[in-house]
Amino acid sequence: MTLSVKNLSVRYGEKVAVRDLSFHVGKGEVFGLLGANGAGKSSSIAAILGMEKSEFKELSILGKSPIAERKKVFEKVGVQFQETNFQDRITVEEACIQWRALYKETQELEPLLISFGLQEKKKQLVKSLSGGEKQRLAVLLALLPNPELVFLDELTTGLDTKARRMLWKQLLKMKESGLSIVLTSHYMDEVEALCDRLLILREGQTVAGGTIQEIVGLSGKATLEEAYLHFAGEEEWG
Amino acid sequence: MTMFWTMLRIEGKLVWKGMDILIFGILFPMILAALFGYMLSKDASVGGASMFEVSYPALITIGVLATGVMGVPLTIADYRHRGILRRFQVTPVSPLHILLVQVVIQLSSALVSFIGVTAVYELLFDYEMKGSWGIFLLTYAFVICAMYSIGIFIGSVVPDQRSANLWSSLAYFTMLLFSGATIPYEIMPRFFQWFMNIFPLSHGIHLLKQVSIGGTAQSLFASFAVLVLCIVLGLGGAIKFFKWK
Repeated sequence: MTLSVKNLSVRYGEKVAVRDLSFHVGKGEVFGLLGANGAGKSSSIAAILGMEKSEFKELSILGKSPIAERKKVFEKVGVQFQETNFQDRITVEEACIQWRALYKETQELEPLLISFGLQEKKKQLVKSLSGGEKQRLAVLLALLPNPELVFLDELTTGLDTKARRMLWKQLLKMKESGLSIVLTSHYMDEVEALCDRLLILREGQTVAGGTIQEIVGLSGKATLEEAYLHFAGEEEWG
Repeated sequence: MTMFWTMLRIEGKLVWKGMDILIFGILFPMILAALFGYMLSKDASVGGASMFEVSYPALITIGVLATGVMGVPLTIADYRHRGILRRFQVTPVSPLHILLVQVVIQLSSALVSFIGVTAVYELLFDYEMKGSWGIFLLTYAFVICAMYSIGIFIGSVVPDQRSANLWSSLAYFTMLLFSGATIPYEIMPRFFQWFMNIFPLSHGIHLLKQVSIGGTAQSLFASFAVLVLCIVLGLGGAIKFFKWK
């Protein structure tokens, strides 16, 4: 199993941000973690990565504990955060070279830069990039170590349609060759395009889990979008 | 090792692209050195040494202050504040590496500052070291360790950018002004010298001065102990309380 989580809970003082989260991700599988803002997606990911304190029955990434064996685990795990910041005066190329130096083995940089449409921007300061370009760079860096598992938090927020489709294509290609992915997203078209299985969180609780068909069936609605709104409790806003 | 060199090269470039180090760490002490060379008396007064002579060991600590007590904690706090350390947390790199890289970069500038001030004193004003250069440089390295330990500690434990600014400025300016680094300790009134002894750098400069004039004043051991304490508490605290975010 690439990722295995059993009964993981995150507490901030009295407040329970995530309660009894359990799921697993196999090799070459794409897993979607969905939920409204504040439902506990980012807290879950932070806890799974060992960055946030949590209680759990089991937590293993590539068969190892991300807390006790941090260095080994993160040789083969890439992470893209919701918001990625870079050093003030760093260029795209420097950011890539620095990232590459952190790992024992990595992918070739040039082909990645080309497929992410960043090879022309190599000499530019990262802070001069557009939001979408910065996002692409963040995903590129997550994929650079040629990981077995990658976490993508709000993968395409801020990207235009063309860039999103390009990114999906890239990810599906890497999935074919065995990459496992855990992603969060607010876009159901993206979830449908990428995810094999999903889990929907609502106020830290798991309210639904399974394949897209199973979740749509479970909700009694016609589309994933409606099923999502039903489970995530977002329809009350409308 | 490749990791370390690549980090060093890129982070070094980033630090040098900012002008802070050049201005505060290198130019400022060199300009002061030139001024002191003209202003300070060359007649023996302090335990057989002149004001000019005892100002040299004080001036070479300014670069150490600017880099170790300002540069190191501000960079670390900035990286933490902007989530850059958080990104490094989910890679195989250890926080020790990131700290070490920043320390080496800042140290290299402190070294340039040392050479600059020494050149001004030696070439323009014929400064002459009365003590042994070897012991002097060893003592200097020891003082550097103590000052950097303070900076590393501040950078490791401050919760945000604002408190990093506050604490490192406080440590920097108080020691810059009240430890004899700029305003000579010897011209301060007695009661104020007592106050100045609170600051670790006062003890560092005291040690350096004694070594540079070949003197054997008392209380060298106490000063030594204060600096050892800085190193132990600073580095120990930094390792224990290091925060990624």
